[in-house]
Amino acid sequence: MTTVAADVTVRPPLGRTQAIGWFVVVVGLFTVFGMGVGTGSAPHSTLTFTPIDVSHGAPWHLGNLTLPTEWTLVLLGALIVALGAEVLVRRLVKGAMVRVGLMAIVFLVAVLVWASRQPGPSQVPFINVTAILVGSAAITMILIYGSLSGILCERAGVVNIAIEGQFLGGYLVGEMIDSATNNWLLATVGGLVIGALMGWLLAFLAIRYLSDQIIVGVVIVTMFTGLSSYFNSWVLTPYPNLNNGNIASNLAIPGLMKIPIIGPTFFDETGFFYLMMILVGLVSFALFKTRWGLRVRAVGEHPQAAASVGISVERTRYVNVILGGAVAGVGGVAFAAIQGQFTPSITSGFGYIALAAMIFGRWRPSGAVAACTLFGVSAYLAYNLQSYQVPISTEILLMFPYLITIAVSAGLVGRVRPPAADGIPYSRE
Amino acid sequence: MARVRGLWDRYRSASPVTIALLALVLGLVVGAVIIIATTPEILNAWRGAFHSWGAPGHALKVTFDNVGAAYRSIVTGSIVDPPQFWHSVTTGRGWTASLTPLSETLTYAIPLVIASIAVGITFQTGLFNIGANGQAILGGVAGVAVATLVHLPMVLHLPLTLLAGIAGGVVGGAIPGLLKAYTGAHEVIVTLMFNYVASYFMLFCLLSTPLQLPNQTNAISRTMPGGTQLAPLFGTASGLRVNYGIVVALAVTVFAIWLLDRSSIGFEFRVTGANPHAARASGINARRTLVTSFLISGGLAGLAGVTWVAGTTHYIDQNFLQGSAGIGFTAITVSLLGRNRPIGIVWGSLLFAALEVGGSNMQANTGIPYDLATVIQSAIVIFVATPVLVKEIFRLRTLRAESIKVATAGWGS
Repeated sequence: MTTVAADVTVRPPLGRTQAIGWFVVVVGLFTVFGMGVGTGSAPHSTLTFTPIDVSHGAPWHLGNLTLPTEWTLVLLGALIVALGAEVLVRRLVKGAMVRVGLMAIVFLVAVLVWASRQPGPSQVPFINVTAILVGSAAITMILIYGSLSGILCERAGVVNIAIEGQFLGGYLVGEMIDSATNNWLLATVGGLVIGALMGWLLAFLAIRYLSDQIIVGVVIVTMFTGLSSYFNSWVLTPYPNLNNGNIASNLAIPGLMKIPIIGPTFFDETGFFYLMMILVGLVSFALFKTRWGLRVRAVGEHPQAAASVGISVERTRYVNVILGGAVAGVGGVAFAAIQGQFTPSITSGFGYIALAAMIFGRWRPSGAVAACTLFGVSAYLAYNLQSYQVPISTEILLMFPYLITIAVSAGLVGRVRPPAADGIPYSRE
Repeated sequence: MARVRGLWDRYRSASPVTIALLALVLGLVVGAVIIIATTPEILNAWRGAFHSWGAPGHALKVTFDNVGAAYRSIVTGSIVDPPQFWHSVTTGRGWTASLTPLSETLTYAIPLVIASIAVGITFQTGLFNIGANGQAILGGVAGVAVATLVHLPMVLHLPLTLLAGIAGGVVGGAIPGLLKAYTGAHEVIVTLMFNYVASYFMLFCLLSTPLQLPNQTNAISRTMPGGTQLAPLFGTASGLRVNYGIVVALAVTVFAIWLLDRSSIGFEFRVTGANPHAARASGINARRTLVTSFLISGGLAGLAGVTWVAGTTHYIDQNFLQGSAGIGFTAITVSLLGRNRPIGIVWGSLLFAALEVGGSNMQANTGIPYDLATVIQSAIVIFVATPVLVKEIFRLRTLRAESIKVATAGWGS
């Protein structure tokens, strides 16, 4: 009986996989016939590769690539159809949502190609591939900070839904310190401290008093949304020089940054980007290759067993939730470093998207990086489409990151397995 | 003496009501600390406090004056301003000014009661509907659409407007409900994301020709015709905004009491919320319960949205339920404060509405931003959700209030 039940929950009914497959196929056919074939043979789309920011010297020059719009779209559409067909033919259960994510990106690229066609309605006659990647990398970076924070907390068994609040806290404090001192290092320390404090608050309520973690987390976010709005009008408005920090300048890595496309994307970034890459490696290594990580995961999977071999469950959880808060706080500073001035609710739900990315990435740093890239690229593409006079209104485009998060979380049933004790308060009795 | 002893004993064996009141005290303390830490006048007074004799006393006085003024304006702005009231009693004039605070609190409490009951119903089912705000937005948009685009006599038009609000909310509730039931998508993430989708959808509607006020470039709707508005209780001439929405709120409260305590579906909600495994074992259809709970919750949240528009502003613009005005988020805290019970929610709504309305008055009188009200509310709820902490702070003996729990702890279910 139990094995049958487990089998049913782990393997969702095939019908939905087929629905997903057919959906992808339909999107592909739309790309081929709706956008591709209709444009005719005259229009061309141009891809350029020179980054917008060439302050550190232009990379090796790549010429423009001009593609016939019609055939490019047919090709991209065929690619989407192939993705859908793969889901249908191989009856993919696990990989179906990954294909949907890829479909979203390919489809958005197709829309870009279609929208930038010349002669056509667009004022922007080209697609700057490098600029798109640089922009996507910025959003992805923010999301990865949030996801890492979530991983640190949830691997130890505490749901940190307050990432959004920690982003806000880090953003506000980071922006104020940077405005006052013009020093991003100090700002990072400030964000780290405020994030850690917020993590401690969550840990204190969730671990010591066994409160419901999701409720307390959401209320902490509400509280800091209010507190940061309060701060904005009570402190930042009368002292505007506390909210006029610069955007962090890039630290280009000599040599590597000259590589076309890849260089500007990965090696001509702010310090926060490099810090993020280091953190991803560090968290992966610490969680899966060290004794500390083994203990953390034991606490997240089976706290009673961990306690029986002498691991302090409370202490481990405290440390991890505070660490997670600190990482999210730094993420908030990174947000400020690429976005500039603080305004209320500026983090616009990215903390929650990061949380969804963490779930999609199965509580692993590598998976989270992939999921964050998916969300980051698609969010940036959707925002970027606004400049191409596409016949889709701005508001609909702005919904896109949230819609894709909903769609992806709808495809996860039975396919993710959180740490067994995730979200469950632990008491010694 | 024995009576005092009795009261003291009752206080020490903390009931949920005691905990809520003590949480209010602690929330106000948190608010005071924030005011002290961020108000230049107070900080300057303390900076000079240790340079001369008597200066600490002065600093204390400045502190008490500032915090006192802030909290006094919360009370006078939300309940009653005694001098003004006494003036009305003695002279018989100025009743509008005397009753406005109470009227405003009630006006704000109307949609809050409805939205909080919406959230409370899902909590009772063991689900977490963080999307009440998005559902209320959809309700408001649908209500305004029906009110401004359809032409009917009032007898039909007002009910139809309210129904449209419910329908809009039902759509918003159906999405997380159905997705959770049929794909397992976690309702917390879906509803959180849906709030943003709903906000952008509202902007989209407000900028499209049918709804937008003609000759406008801003996102603003046409005004609802008189026949679709919830009229002020004491007539437009009274100047008091409290409106017939109060009838809607009372009806919803009675409905919720009936639903949760008397109906079989409410029983299924509560059993599922208390123990999903036991519910399944006793033959309750988990999927149907889940979807129904979300549909009812969404519908009520939508009703809250349309009630707010029809009773107060009569139009919506891009600020409708955004930021601190998002009653869907306040509703979560109210529902927790009222322990998800309709009667508790009504009291909680009155308290939090008073804080909001008083907060605006505080901003007008002292300049301290009304967002402080949100912080105080959240602090109150953190304390209510952690009764053991309150018990320790006040050294209470026993604890009759339990912590609040949602059944949806992990992400996998």
